[in-house]
Amino acid sequence: MSARDLEHVTCLGCGCACDDITIVVQRGRIAEARSACALGVAWFGDGALPAEIRVHAHTASLEQALTETAGLLAGAKRPLVYLAGDISCETQREAVAIADRLHAAIDSLAATAAVGVLAAQRRGRAGATLGEIRQRADLVVFWGVDPAERYPRFASRYAVEPAGLQTPSGRKSRTVAAVDVGASRGPADADIRVALGAPEEVDALGVMRATVQGRAAEYGGRFGTAIDLARRMTQARYTAIVADGEPGPIPSDRDRAEALVTLAQALNGPTRCALATLRGGGNRSGADAVLTWLTGFPFAVDFARGHPSYRPSAGAAALLAAGEIDAALVVGAAATLPGPVAERLAAVRTAAIGPRASAATFQPVVAIDTGVAGIHEGGLAFRMDDVPLPLRPSLEAPHAALATVRALRERLGA
Amino acid sequence: MSQPTRLRIAGGTVYDPANGVDGAVRDVCIEGDRIVADLPQGAPRLDARGMVVMPGGVDIHAHVAGSSVNHARRLLPEEHAADPVPAPRLEEGGPARSGTGGTLPSTFATGYRYAGLGYTTVMEAAVAPLAARHAHAELDDTPIIDAGFYVLLGNDDYLLDQLARGEGARARDYAAWLVGAARAYAIKIVNPGGIALWKGSGEVGRRNVTGLDESLGSSTVTPRKILEALAGAANALALPHPVHIHCNNLGQPGNAATTLESMKALGGQRAHFTHLQFHSYGGERGKAWQSAAREVIEYVNAHPETSVDVGQVMFGPATTVTADGPVEHLLYTSTGRKWVNVDIELESGCGIVPYAYKERAAVAALQWAVGLELFLLAKDPWRVVLSTDHPNGGTFLSYPELIRLLMDRAYRDERLKGVNHKLLAESALLDGLAREYTLGEIAIVTRAGPARLLGLTSKGHLGPGADADVTIYANDADRARMFATPRYVLKAGTLVVEEGQLRRAPAGRRLAVRPEVDAAAAKDVKRFFDRYASVSFENYGAEPVA
Repeated sequence: MSARDLEHVTCLGCGCACDDITIVVQRGRIAEARSACALGVAWFGDGALPAEIRVHAHTASLEQALTETAGLLAGAKRPLVYLAGDISCETQREAVAIADRLHAAIDSLAATAAVGVLAAQRRGRAGATLGEIRQRADLVVFWGVDPAERYPRFASRYAVEPAGLQTPSGRKSRTVAAVDVGASRGPADADIRVALGAPEEVDALGVMRATVQGRAAEYGGRFGTAIDLARRMTQARYTAIVADGEPGPIPSDRDRAEALVTLAQALNGPTRCALATLRGGGNRSGADAVLTWLTGFPFAVDFARGHPSYRPSAGAAALLAAGEIDAALVVGAAATLPGPVAERLAAVRTAAIGPRASAATFQPVVAIDTGVAGIHEGGLAFRMDDVPLPLRPSLEAPHAALATVRALRERLGA
Repeated sequence: MSQPTRLRIAGGTVYDPANGVDGAVRDVCIEGDRIVADLPQGAPRLDARGMVVMPGGVDIHAHVAGSSVNHARRLLPEEHAADPVPAPRLEEGGPARSGTGGTLPSTFATGYRYAGLGYTTVMEAAVAPLAARHAHAELDDTPIIDAGFYVLLGNDDYLLDQLARGEGARARDYAAWLVGAARAYAIKIVNPGGIALWKGSGEVGRRNVTGLDESLGSSTVTPRKILEALAGAANALALPHPVHIHCNNLGQPGNAATTLESMKALGGQRAHFTHLQFHSYGGERGKAWQSAAREVIEYVNAHPETSVDVGQVMFGPATTVTADGPVEHLLYTSTGRKWVNVDIELESGCGIVPYAYKERAAVAALQWAVGLELFLLAKDPWRVVLSTDHPNGGTFLSYPELIRLLMDRAYRDERLKGVNHKLLAESALLDGLAREYTLGEIAIVTRAGPARLLGLTSKGHLGPGADADVTIYANDADRARMFATPRYVLKAGTLVVEEGQLRRAPAGRRLAVRPEVDAAAAKDVKRFFDRYASVSFENYGAEPVA
């Protein structure tokens, strides 16, 4: 088989969802993921996947596996559906239909950024799509994050380097500020640095907001550099504040998340500002969008009462920890599950449908290996800024996640 | 009753204004998904004696699907928690879905509730091209209703650039390409030029335009030029719906002058001005507000090329959601409520603030009165469509109450007594507008008129060949009750509502147009895209890629 190239492929390795990847296929394997970062190259891999179907650790037919899964879920008193990574929105929609039918609890990988979502639900957002930051931002403030590690192409594609309509010289058109919060440091090559101790971060954000609103009193030297940064932000034409929405060294904290939102909001008026919240990959932003349009809630939804209820403090991890769940369906790549969820699933009768389900650490009762959305399956995915992108499969997998979950849905009468 | 391939709706009082039928007792016959002239005697019958039969409702302007709607849903968990929607018990034909309501219901609830109201066609009024794929995905999950959307143009950097270069023809070709690429139905302009300034395209500190002839930044482009270019494009391309315009200065006192100027700028060519109520205020910016409804509607009355929908404000909860970012910022600073702003690269914006209109609030009372004045002073109902700019002025569930206000003067006068009169001095409503809409006129402003303005030739009427979208109401002197709970609703020949209960929920159809495109235009857009956009040109729009 000769080599073939597939262009404009979207990578789901992180939330950047770079859609400029060229996949080179040779002899049925991915030989190269051109333009992809190291993280992307690892995410695409060579495209080889296990293609097993197992029931109680024995090889089974798809028919047997679906029957077993349907029985497992239909017989459960308190089922849980979990949307893991690397599935398309189309597959997510099928899984939500199953949860609705089963009166199950449903949660997703999007819950990793729960603190930021909840802050936005209380206060709103001052945001922008990433391309707008590219066009406009003359001041980019990395707040306790260096995107190079978990979002490798963020700086080169969106926030810093590329030229935009109002930033014709790219990096030279922008000032980059790094706010180091404890050990969470901003980019090394920043033009401005502000160092904060983790305990004083929220206070600093409050003082900065007061400065922006022209009501800063005397705060002495403690927040001097933060106040200077706040002044620069008001003088900028368009400020982008970039913070990590995913868990990291800085503890997820409600006050911190709200303080970031309200600072960004306050800057709109004197000038313009957008808060960009970095999110992980695997189309978790798609899970957030799909659950929101189907239920009105972005994560931690419970259909137990015959309609969606919002249980942000009783998501999958909490329900599993409380021992409430007696059967679970994981749709998506088992390896993307947050640690606490994966660990607890080991104690629950679980069916897993998704990439490398047969290798899941929690040893599911039923495992159906499927392809990866974006490598073996097409469909829709969302970038971290809620921009929708099409997926372009470069290889085929024996079992597509979408078709498999749809077959299960039909079996359950959902 | 299973899905009828044939059905005679027998003996109902039919309102089919497009075919000149105004309350005549006659049969309406359906075969498959179409209306037919007649059926053999033995065909199944639905006894509609004593009932009112109309075409299915057509909503010309609502916010029901897409990225800004979903941002708004995400912002309002408290509303959804307060309004759970259990799955309806459907008969054969697929499982039902649960959801939540509030001012921005989940997608299945949206479809169910529209159908339950007798509406079978809905136009989503504002979709940024960048998010077109998202809007289509949500519409795929919105059952029963046939739906399409308007794609946002008029603040997009590529278009403004072409206009600045004097490339009018290129601007038109671009619009044609974009409508097709997004699989949209019509062109929508929101606050022409104003969103671009809000995002920082102008001089430092300029955040909006205030007049039609203000230039944008250093270029010679003005809101007037944007309006002319896009109205001209829609007409030259013979799109079924003319350009759909949300004028500059929404919600500002004195904005009627801008509205009239915009209408005059497009005099002589088709153009639709949306949620006119929000653009019909007298008074002065920063000072007192008053009604300028009479002035505005008199212009509309005299200009058959101009059409409008009202955007009535209804008392109760609402959510303001619009591409008009600067307006929402103003609302945020004046109300202190939670606020979402999302700037959309190279194209548009999105702003959201939850809101409530209260009888006791002077401005809300004025807005309510202005909307009613527009309705009651309108001479040609075919060009003045019923809307609340859902959910901006109130939700679509308030349409029945609005119909009662239009049809029942005694009720209207009673409600008028209860509202704040502080700003109503110039309102014609206080002079005692006696008009009461007839059922025939309601049928025009809620179905026949919008269908005609949308160029949906098989919608909004009951003539042979029309889509078998039919709503049957029990005649009730309380018009709000009557229109809130139709007894039967047929969608494409399927009985979706029976005895007031939702029984079936088939998928709706997508309404989209595909203008012919000049290949050179797409090539030039790609050049711009490759230089500035954060998504690949090949992944943009809403075409299937694989």
